[in-house]
Amino acid sequence: MTSISERPVDAAAAGLHDLVKPDEGVVSRTVFIDEAIYRTELDRIFTKTWLFIGHESQLRAPGDYLTNFMGEDPVIATRGADGGIRVMLNSCAHRGMAVCTTDAGTSKFFRCPYHGWTYSNNGDLIGVPRADTVYNGELDKSRLGLKAVPRVEIYKGFIFANWDEDAIPLVDYLGADQLWYLDLAFEAPLGGLEVIGPTMKFRIKANWKLAAENFAGDDYHVLYTHGSAFQIGFLPDYDLLADYIANFDHGHGMGDISKPGRAYQNDVGMAQFLGPEAIEYVAAVRERLQARVSPLQAEMHGLGEGNIFPNLSWIKFGVFHVFGLFQWHPKGPGEMEVWQTAFFDSGAPQSIKDFARTQMSQENAAAGIFGQDDGENFEQITESARGFVSQTRDFNYAMGLGHEGEIQEEGYPGRLGPHFSEQNHRNFYRYWLELMTTPGEQK
Amino acid sequence: MTAHLTDLRRDVEDFLYREAKMLDEQRYDEWLALFTADVRYWMPITETREVRQPRDHVPGEWALMEEDSRFLAKRMERLAGGLAHSEQPRSRTRRFISNVLVTPGPDDDLVAESNFIVFQSRRANSEQFFVGSRRDRILTSAEGWKIAERTVLLDHRVLPRAISIFF
Repeated sequence: MTSISERPVDAAAAGLHDLVKPDEGVVSRTVFIDEAIYRTELDRIFTKTWLFIGHESQLRAPGDYLTNFMGEDPVIATRGADGGIRVMLNSCAHRGMAVCTTDAGTSKFFRCPYHGWTYSNNGDLIGVPRADTVYNGELDKSRLGLKAVPRVEIYKGFIFANWDEDAIPLVDYLGADQLWYLDLAFEAPLGGLEVIGPTMKFRIKANWKLAAENFAGDDYHVLYTHGSAFQIGFLPDYDLLADYIANFDHGHGMGDISKPGRAYQNDVGMAQFLGPEAIEYVAAVRERLQARVSPLQAEMHGLGEGNIFPNLSWIKFGVFHVFGLFQWHPKGPGEMEVWQTAFFDSGAPQSIKDFARTQMSQENAAAGIFGQDDGENFEQITESARGFVSQTRDFNYAMGLGHEGEIQEEGYPGRLGPHFSEQNHRNFYRYWLELMTTPGEQK
Repeated sequence: MTAHLTDLRRDVEDFLYREAKMLDEQRYDEWLALFTADVRYWMPITETREVRQPRDHVPGEWALMEEDSRFLAKRMERLAGGLAHSEQPRSRTRRFISNVLVTPGPDDDLVAESNFIVFQSRRANSEQFFVGSRRDRILTSAEGWKIAERTVLLDHRVLPRAISIFF
């Protein structure tokens, strides 16, 4: 009799190398539901990598603050009186209360609601009620500030933080190859990128990695998951939109990369539909790009979507598309909280801003026709990982295995692959495995 | 309250209950016909702000939904096409509309404010409630009432699920 088990179910006994085999295109369902693996991710991934915090346009003046999460840890980001941006744990040093319970605002200090301990917006403990009597004047306030995130770095307005003091610089982590593409989103806006509204937040009862790996370059799913978008004419033929995917060091990946000229032609077509202001706008952006980036980048013109490891995804098609960020905040192995922030060119004409904003709400947002179908998939995949027999059946990421490196486009950096390949998933899990099997010191 | 206003409120309640029933019974073509061709359907994002730093919903910022009748119709076309996986199979929904207040307008129009609780049950055991309020501007011509403007304010900061239903 042959066993239905291709692999023992006992996750604790199996090493991570047995569960995740990127080079064979195999990932165990266990890594999407196991509590111990999840706790290890919070340690070895979310305290070791650069995580997105916010954008400088959200912290314009001294005193401005916003809240976010790094893994499951709540943080506050502030612009101090000195103009510097700091990120600190949103948790009172006394008994752990969140000292800030709002999304964003302006304040010189944060006061804990429990006992009234008060912190300046650079994290120093500046007030303890009755400290002289209740602590006999012996409390060393200098040691009881909000825990600061040791590394905060900014790339073209985008603020990232890292708990690892020894982390490589943000630009090296993102890498020149990936930035060659992303810079198109940052350099194209005539007036710079600005946040165009509040962060959209919703829950998906699914493991965070399913969303991250999807944006890292799962263009294959677009054909069927988003089939309804083609059906109603929301998107043109997918084969006319893009040609390649690419991945980079540190687990990053992107999809919907187009051959030189294609994205520009698509935008010109869209502009003719939208009117004279749009035609002028495409021309102005093209001129700006030609002045600011390499000729090939300017020819590439539009991007696609991608995932900055571990859990920051982005989307940006042509000039009429917002730059959208998605944080897949982990909330236990079986749930994530999606935080979506949208950016657009502050220098674009109002009619273009209106078009881009509404199009994104309709497309890839909490009530958009893409987001809701993706969420449905991720939830059911996570559910599928719970069955005992189901768990013996590994997920398959074998598309394009043995054919990596066969695609080239002169001058395009990164490891290119065909439009439909799972090479980027394998790249994601290769780096995931590297971090997960590297012990770090306790924070 | 005058008898006229009481009657008007009863008519508005009747209109809103019938609308809720259309959605619960997935009679989407009938639902679409309730909106004017130039309807503005707006569902902004709710934020959590300091008591002393309240922030209104700002028109022109990106929103959960910001639609015209054309895209509302596209959404219905999508549902009918069989590839809208988030509503395939359909969610079971039950809408509860209450606290209806009516302010007559200068012409053949009125503003109706109401609260709602919508229960959504998907597949086996995916269940959630959406709670909020609506402000509708309704044109009350003799040929039939039409919604010319709808603002939906959800009370949730973090939505329990991506939105695949209508409010």
